[in-house]
Amino acid sequence: MTHTAPGSNPVAALRHDLRTPVNHIVGYAEMLLEDLTGPEHAARRAALEETLKAARDALNAISLVLAPTKDAVEPSELSGLYHRLEDPQHRIVEAVHALLAAANEVPTPSFAEDLKKIEDAAQRLVPRDRAAVTGEVRAVAAFAAGVARVLVVDDEAGNRDLLGRRLQREGYAVITAGGGHEALALIAKNPVDVVLLDVMMPDLDGLAVLERLKADPATHDVPVIMISALDDLSAIARCIQAGALDYLPKPFEPVILRARLAASLAEKRARDQERDLVKALGAVTAAAAAVEAGAYQAGALAEVAQRPDAIGRLARVVDRMATQVGEREARLRSRVTELREAIGVARQTHDYVVESVSDRLKAGEVLAGRYAIEAVVGRGGMGTVYRARDSELNETVAVKTLMPELVADEELRERFKDEIRLARRITHRNVVRMHDFGEANGVWYLTMEFVEGLTCRDLLDARGPLAVPAALAIATQLAESLIVAHEVGVIHRDIKPQNLLLDHAGVLKVMDFGVARLAERTAGHTQAGLIVGTPAYMSPEQLTGEEVDARSDLYSAGVVLYELLTGQLPCDAPTVMALFARVLGETPPRPATLQPAIPPALDELIMQLLAKRAADRVAGAGALLERLQALV
Amino acid sequence: MLRILLVEDNELNRDMLSRRLQRKGFEVAMALDGRQGVDMAKAGGYDLILMDMSLPEIDGWEATRQLRAAPETATVPIIALTAHAMAGDRDKAIEAGCNDYDTKPIELERLLGKMQALLGGGA
Repeated sequence: MTHTAPGSNPVAALRHDLRTPVNHIVGYAEMLLEDLTGPEHAARRAALEETLKAARDALNAISLVLAPTKDAVEPSELSGLYHRLEDPQHRIVEAVHALLAAANEVPTPSFAEDLKKIEDAAQRLVPRDRAAVTGEVRAVAAFAAGVARVLVVDDEAGNRDLLGRRLQREGYAVITAGGGHEALALIAKNPVDVVLLDVMMPDLDGLAVLERLKADPATHDVPVIMISALDDLSAIARCIQAGALDYLPKPFEPVILRARLAASLAEKRARDQERDLVKALGAVTAAAAAVEAGAYQAGALAEVAQRPDAIGRLARVVDRMATQVGEREARLRSRVTELREAIGVARQTHDYVVESVSDRLKAGEVLAGRYAIEAVVGRGGMGTVYRARDSELNETVAVKTLMPELVADEELRERFKDEIRLARRITHRNVVRMHDFGEANGVWYLTMEFVEGLTCRDLLDARGPLAVPAALAIATQLAESLIVAHEVGVIHRDIKPQNLLLDHAGVLKVMDFGVARLAERTAGHTQAGLIVGTPAYMSPEQLTGEEVDARSDLYSAGVVLYELLTGQLPCDAPTVMALFARVLGETPPRPATLQPAIPPALDELIMQLLAKRAADRVAGAGALLERLQALV
Repeated sequence: MLRILLVEDNELNRDMLSRRLQRKGFEVAMALDGRQGVDMAKAGGYDLILMDMSLPEIDGWEATRQLRAAPETATVPIIALTAHAMAGDRDKAIEAGCNDYDTKPIELERLLGKMQALLGGGA
């Protein structure tokens, strides 16, 4: 009876299987020699010594091809080994036959019995069944080629042997274990693709082994097929509940065995693939998060990017984008630095607004029992802006009072509230956050985030035209604010330097989103000729009272950028009517003709923003941002 | 007479080795697998254990560990017998608590030398 030793691979098992009969031959031959001491046994001694010599030749051949350090062997080497073993096998069998047939020395029954054992062992050295040899060779090749590895766990050596051989013939690499503990130890060292697990085992039964495999994350996904007698259905049910994929009834039906193994392996492959995908996706997600946090390391996705599938493609795109974002950010930083310097100069010459009799509120006054007015910070078409202390939230806010005619009746106030509600949906670092709309002692007011800084108007008045990088720093942030506003359906309608606040760090804050619309609507209600918005910054369609969309804000942005760079308006005129005519009919001079430092691409971009027809402008704020970022 | 416990699952190996040892004057008891080997050894009375490593139930390494952990068998000499199928078997056997190690095919004189060394020359 051969016992297939447990091993990590079929090479070890084969080594064991081949050495065992040789060991038997050597052992019995030596033992028999010990008894043959007298000179009359010379012939027998010679035959047994020839047997020993042949056995040692076999051992050498085995050790050469299946050295203990090897765990893979070429099929051709294995075929060669079997071929080489044929000679010692033949010599041993011949020696045994000679001993049994010796006429002068009739062997005792015990002597003959031991000789028979030697002969049997010699016969096992080379499988008589050539198909079995082919099966072994194929199993070894399969292992070397990374073909599916099956662990057979059964305490009955016969079952193990039968199943193992069958699977080897099917081309699987087979590992066997004679008990539960052994199986767990083997799996811990050698990953397998599927486990065939006997339910009834003395040391650690199939259910216990299964539970341990399922509890260990490293082996959780390995499919397990239970082996059991059909009358043990309740045990099978328990195993399936514990995570077994399937079961195989004894006696084995080769067709069923083949089908179940194939199905389990297909499932294992799918799971492995899924886990692999999740891992790759995780790497891409982590990289995207790193990009956002500014911590992306170039090449971090190199491995995933090599995949030929969609995730590989995604990784390549993320890597490319991250690299571009890095470059763009560096560009933006240098632009903001220039902007900051410009702001620094402007602040020194900036006049603070002084109080006027037209202001509704005075410093020291408390509005609505909550806002302590501190100073006037600006005046516009709709009212006065104050800096105030919100005693409830204990923070500085801006309070904007509204001219009474803007909020004359309930319907207007409701519309205004709607606009504010909409504008409040915009949350972005480049947008002044809107807080509240209310009334106290007949004064209607808006409260909003207070920005310590100055407007682009102040900057232009103090400094004149800006250098290209500083103007681009403003335009880039303006484009970003427009992207989020347009996304939630809010059109500013009054983009102009007065509405663009800059804090001391160079961060742009756009104010009055949604407010212009109110003034527009109120125009019909109040005195004729009230000019809503500032005509020089208004798009042709807005001036003519047509329906406007996001592209109107892009026109205004173009005017602002033009003015920031050249210090001049693209269309200017002493009267409103003359301005109308120019805005509607005249192409302004290219900004580069006024400011030669403007690069051609920027010059072209500004002219496109100022197109008379909305359809001829840059497609949207997102496209504008991309064009600005791409400028070197 | 010195009593040897031979733990070996292979019938031919068992037959051959036990007979050769008996001829040399040892009393040989046999266990067919690791579990039986541990049970028999714990029951006591053996001067030395010859332990095959590739055994069903529990293998020779585990059986040796169990014997070393039990006070009644902690000091009984154990010689591991391996088929030399795997590299590293020797270290594993010593690590598990075997006193010595021999590979198959067994060369009786060599094995007897190792046994004598452990038994203090008292065979």
